[in-house]
Amino acid sequence: MSKNAETGTYRGIDDIYRENWKWDKVAWASHCIDCYPGNCPMRVYVKDGIAWREEPAAVFPQIEKGVPDLNPMGCQKGAGWTRTLYGKDRVLYPLKRVGERGEGKWERVSWDQAATEIADAVLDAVEEKGPESVIAPSGCNMHTWGLLGRPLYMGGIGGLTMDVNAEMNDFAPGHYLTYGAFDPVSSIDDWFHAGIILIWHANPVYTRIPHYHFIAEARYKGAEVYTIAPDASPSAVHADYHYGLTPGSDAAFSLSMAQVVVEEGLVDETFAREQTDLPLLMNPETKCYLRESEMEDGGSDEQFYVWDLKTKEAIKAPRGTLFWGDIEPALTGTFSVTTNSGTVELQTVLTQMLPRLENYKPELATKICNIHPDAIRALARKIASRRTKVICSLSNAGKHYHGDLMERAQLLLFGLTGNWGKQGTGVQAWTGAFFDGAMTLVAKQSKGPAELAMMLDMIDAGNAEARAKDPTLTEAMIKIEAAKNSDNGGMVPPVFFWYRHAGCKDSWQKKEWHDPSMKREFDEYFQEAVEKDWWAGQDFPREEQTPRVLIECGGNVLRRTRGGSKMLLEHLWPELNMIVSLDIRMSATGLHSDFVLPIANQYEKIGFGIPSTHTMNLTFCDRAIEPPGEAVNEYEAFRRLSEKLEERAKARNFQPYTDARGGEHNLTECHTKFTRNGQFLDEDMMADEMIRDTAFLGAIPSNASLDDLREKGYYRWEGLGIAVRAHSQATDPAPDETFAPFRKHVEGGEPWPTLSRRAQFLIEHPWFIEADEHLPIHKDPPQIGGDYPFQVASGHNRWSIHSLNTANHLMLETHRGAPHVVINDEDAARLNIEDNEEIRIFNDQGEYFVPALISPSAQPGQIVMYNGFDNYQFKDWKGPNDAEPGMVKWLHMAGGYGHLKYYSMNWQPCAIMRNTHVGIEKIS
Amino acid sequence: MTSQNRQIAMVFDLNKCIGCQTCSVACKVLWTRNEGTDYQWWCTVNTVPGQGSPKGWEAMGGGYKDDTLTLGKLPERSEFGGGWDFNYDEVFYGKGKGAGGGQVPLRVKGEQPTWGPNWDEDQGGGKYPNSYYYYLPRLCNHCTRPACVEACPSKAMYKRPEDGIVLRDEAKCEGSQDCAKACPYKKIFFNHERGVSQHCIMCLPRIEDGVAPACARQCPGRAVFVGFLDDTSGPIHKLVNEWKVAMPLHPEYGTKPNMYYVPPIGPKPINADGSIDEDTNRIPDALLEEQFGPDVHQALATLQGEMAKTREGGKSALMDILIAYQWKELFSEFTVDPVDVEQEGQ
Repeated sequence: MSKNAETGTYRGIDDIYRENWKWDKVAWASHCIDCYPGNCPMRVYVKDGIAWREEPAAVFPQIEKGVPDLNPMGCQKGAGWTRTLYGKDRVLYPLKRVGERGEGKWERVSWDQAATEIADAVLDAVEEKGPESVIAPSGCNMHTWGLLGRPLYMGGIGGLTMDVNAEMNDFAPGHYLTYGAFDPVSSIDDWFHAGIILIWHANPVYTRIPHYHFIAEARYKGAEVYTIAPDASPSAVHADYHYGLTPGSDAAFSLSMAQVVVEEGLVDETFAREQTDLPLLMNPETKCYLRESEMEDGGSDEQFYVWDLKTKEAIKAPRGTLFWGDIEPALTGTFSVTTNSGTVELQTVLTQMLPRLENYKPELATKICNIHPDAIRALARKIASRRTKVICSLSNAGKHYHGDLMERAQLLLFGLTGNWGKQGTGVQAWTGAFFDGAMTLVAKQSKGPAELAMMLDMIDAGNAEARAKDPTLTEAMIKIEAAKNSDNGGMVPPVFFWYRHAGCKDSWQKKEWHDPSMKREFDEYFQEAVEKDWWAGQDFPREEQTPRVLIECGGNVLRRTRGGSKMLLEHLWPELNMIVSLDIRMSATGLHSDFVLPIANQYEKIGFGIPSTHTMNLTFCDRAIEPPGEAVNEYEAFRRLSEKLEERAKARNFQPYTDARGGEHNLTECHTKFTRNGQFLDEDMMADEMIRDTAFLGAIPSNASLDDLREKGYYRWEGLGIAVRAHSQATDPAPDETFAPFRKHVEGGEPWPTLSRRAQFLIEHPWFIEADEHLPIHKDPPQIGGDYPFQVASGHNRWSIHSLNTANHLMLETHRGAPHVVINDEDAARLNIEDNEEIRIFNDQGEYFVPALISPSAQPGQIVMYNGFDNYQFKDWKGPNDAEPGMVKWLHMAGGYGHLKYYSMNWQPCAIMRNTHVGIEKIS
Repeated sequence: MTSQNRQIAMVFDLNKCIGCQTCSVACKVLWTRNEGTDYQWWCTVNTVPGQGSPKGWEAMGGGYKDDTLTLGKLPERSEFGGGWDFNYDEVFYGKGKGAGGGQVPLRVKGEQPTWGPNWDEDQGGGKYPNSYYYYLPRLCNHCTRPACVEACPSKAMYKRPEDGIVLRDEAKCEGSQDCAKACPYKKIFFNHERGVSQHCIMCLPRIEDGVAPACARQCPGRAVFVGFLDDTSGPIHKLVNEWKVAMPLHPEYGTKPNMYYVPPIGPKPINADGSIDEDTNRIPDALLEEQFGPDVHQALATLQGEMAKTREGGKSALMDILIAYQWKELFSEFTVDPVDVEQEGQ
């Protein structure tokens, strides 16, 4: 490697530099954590047994002609990941607390001792309060091995695992209400097909670093980029237009554009007729669809009607297809229809919507959203004429109290303008599916495909049985129904845990922090929902099932939970007899735990990225080096806990028991079940099994294996596999096309998994009607936090993935080394606040202290407190969540109506935090 | 690589740069991990307008005035900032409670910093709603007329004729720091442990292996082009010399820098009545001229003219170059994958 060292006038650079460009091993790498969508294929360069450095692999071919390839993918966190391996926040050995919780006094103990003490605490808890007193928060950073080990461990006990989508608040309730699934996801390269790009409820310059180039490149190709955000956010830097709307006014803005589209005759009528419920007939008095049960004796409650312009009569809307055939449904109008109870005047859903839209004429909406009427009209016309896509990490709108309304209004605009189910269109959420082998390995009893073949037969038989009863069912609907009737892998919506045991009740009961249209007390709605069994099987833990053991794996519940560590430390912590953190690093939760157990990091274990249509690949991260100290992967950690649990259960002669949901458990054989009689122990073997099973089920090439993946580094999805969330994408992946969800609905007329079988804008639930939210509407954000002049409107930061990487010294040097809050320069001057001065932020919920970063990019009255800094980066370890009550919208407790029923990741209340009201003051 | 007097150059497309710091971190992890380099960030990305790194560098002088070498200010260690050591042990292990009983937060040990490699990130200029900024990545310009080389009293510095990379023989460097005074871009650092100056080596070992520099190859924004200026088939020549949309930073410094920038096009301003001003840009022309010289106006006009073509559904060869449908198009001949670089003993 002398290169041209002898040529010309060359003189050497220092040998140090040459040494840095040497390695003795290279392995596939990625960062298979909760960096969604992540999945950046990288390589780690190993030197002398040390993960020396990493670099994007950049091995993607161009997928679609005329669309840029996906290379290189990566970000600064990934580029400096090796520093997290060797960082001072790394946990290397099992630690036992020896001082007070949070005091920071630790003793190094053996895995055996830790597992023994934890096992006895679990057994005590089961005896005292039942298995539901053993709680696992969602822990989103655990991935491959945690997703395998934790359900086996928790399932063995019958404990409760919290639904990750509610904990992370990444649910999109408005999408769910409209589509029956919250999670449409196009591939990143599909952004390039958009003619109008709306960066809305998102800050991709921070949060989509590997993918932002598609926005810049689409702009060069002719797309116009709009950033719609209260602040001139970092993602406004390269936009053509920045619409700085009033925080929380997004629904009014969307409805205003919808009004323009209707008034100017720009509606894509064919699309709206086929895709949406807008042509369905409804009764203006009852706010309900016309039903077959009103027309015929014994008629269905789920068969709705349109007015056929040809035959001039009400005709049943087909439930098996979106296509109308010979029917010519009226999109607007008032019609007399004779029902069983006489003649009634009915209107289409769109006609009922029109007077609402009139309230948002641009000249009126501007008073709400502060966008000039001309600007509203200009964008509405463009959206109606060009393929329009909303770019977001996932819908941030759902993090607002009225996020459902924001999303429903946005989808109404898109439904009127033909903007989904085509390349370059649509809104985004997030999905995770396809890697079916990771799921089947939790359930299968032995190696090999035999059980999977049986499972496929059962799926076929189930489909046939379901379709025999109702031939209009799609595969997605059958899978969703099955999910609604499953145990959801032991996951429950956390709303019951929060309300009954975590301390949220105090804030949720404050009526003044809710919307004024909530007529009764929050608790009355909550109790009604429970009493009517809308959450049957899910409403755990009960009041009496006081949590006793909390096992956090790959999460940081003290940082994440709205209401903050203050609330949890006051309400939950004193009830807990055992708190365990399984983590690669010290987190706020770890610091307040009884045991911290060391987990292997990326590069120290095999891992797979979150399998999604965003990136379209199963991405592989190899075990390039051995874990340091006594760190193990999450599966092995839970196996050790399970092994000791079995041992202690035997020693204590622990009898079999039935949990409150009917599950039967025998802890004297929990480890035997965990490992399936010792079959599943080896990391490579299990990874190979996951890959082969996924191939067998159709999502990746049929010859896939661990060895093959070690050659190739990734597989592109070839099929949907068996998971419900893959099928709700309603598009089959293609090798040479960008991925756009919902094409089966648009191109094939496949019905939607909603009550009406169409994208549904009318929600007839009595609570929604009571709140005047049966149709899209704008409502101002409630005064959450109290009567304070500033609103928190911000998202994720640039420097960490949640709180992971936040203490990486390289990341700290790329900003000020400490958290900051962005406040407007004029606000700062008025309050006499200097740049980098630590200030107090407070409301009726709590307070925290943070240095100010003064910038005219913040809207006056707005503060931008980026999410992700860990509590211990703030004075007294009080994080921003201490001042975020985490309200839930009462309507999201609704059920017993159509598609409004929980299944994993779907319909459930989420604790919101946007538009919290706060005060700011100098610390004197 | 037999030709003499060739020059490698890079073009940074500021419409694609999102300030993510991947280039900075990629550089730091690879090159400034050794003794005395803890605070050295050879590649930085700062927010413009702003003071940048080192703080206020544009006012520090150096370069050529009236064709004469001038020594400017030597940036102080505190003006670079960085190289911070944090109180991890205090926070995590046993010393968490402060005097008042409250818990001590994670902070830089000792005196708190007042500047760093990216201190004024995302502050920018203007008044809301017409606030604005853009990101400016900076590294050694490997100037055609390197003031540092001329200023070095020890003759430790030289410019390689075959690729124009400016290097320093650290064995000969006597630590006078005249190079750092002479450099008008203030991208030369002093290794206080070893007593030598150091700066970006243009990833020389990578370049020798045909691998694009770390900052370019790792840029997730696909914002960085690499190649020889005289390679008429490559993107550098086309952007710099043919389309003339890539400009040197502060050409008036007189060192003929070889890092070029495609100027940023920001969002449309909002008028006082809230309507949109379709005819101008939030980023003041004067600021761009101050940074990139008067030719920037023509560059912006060319860019906007070509963007208008594609908006009408037309084609533009310039836009195709900037889009770079194939990622490797960014790197001219430097497309070797590091994994394919042969290692000794393997």
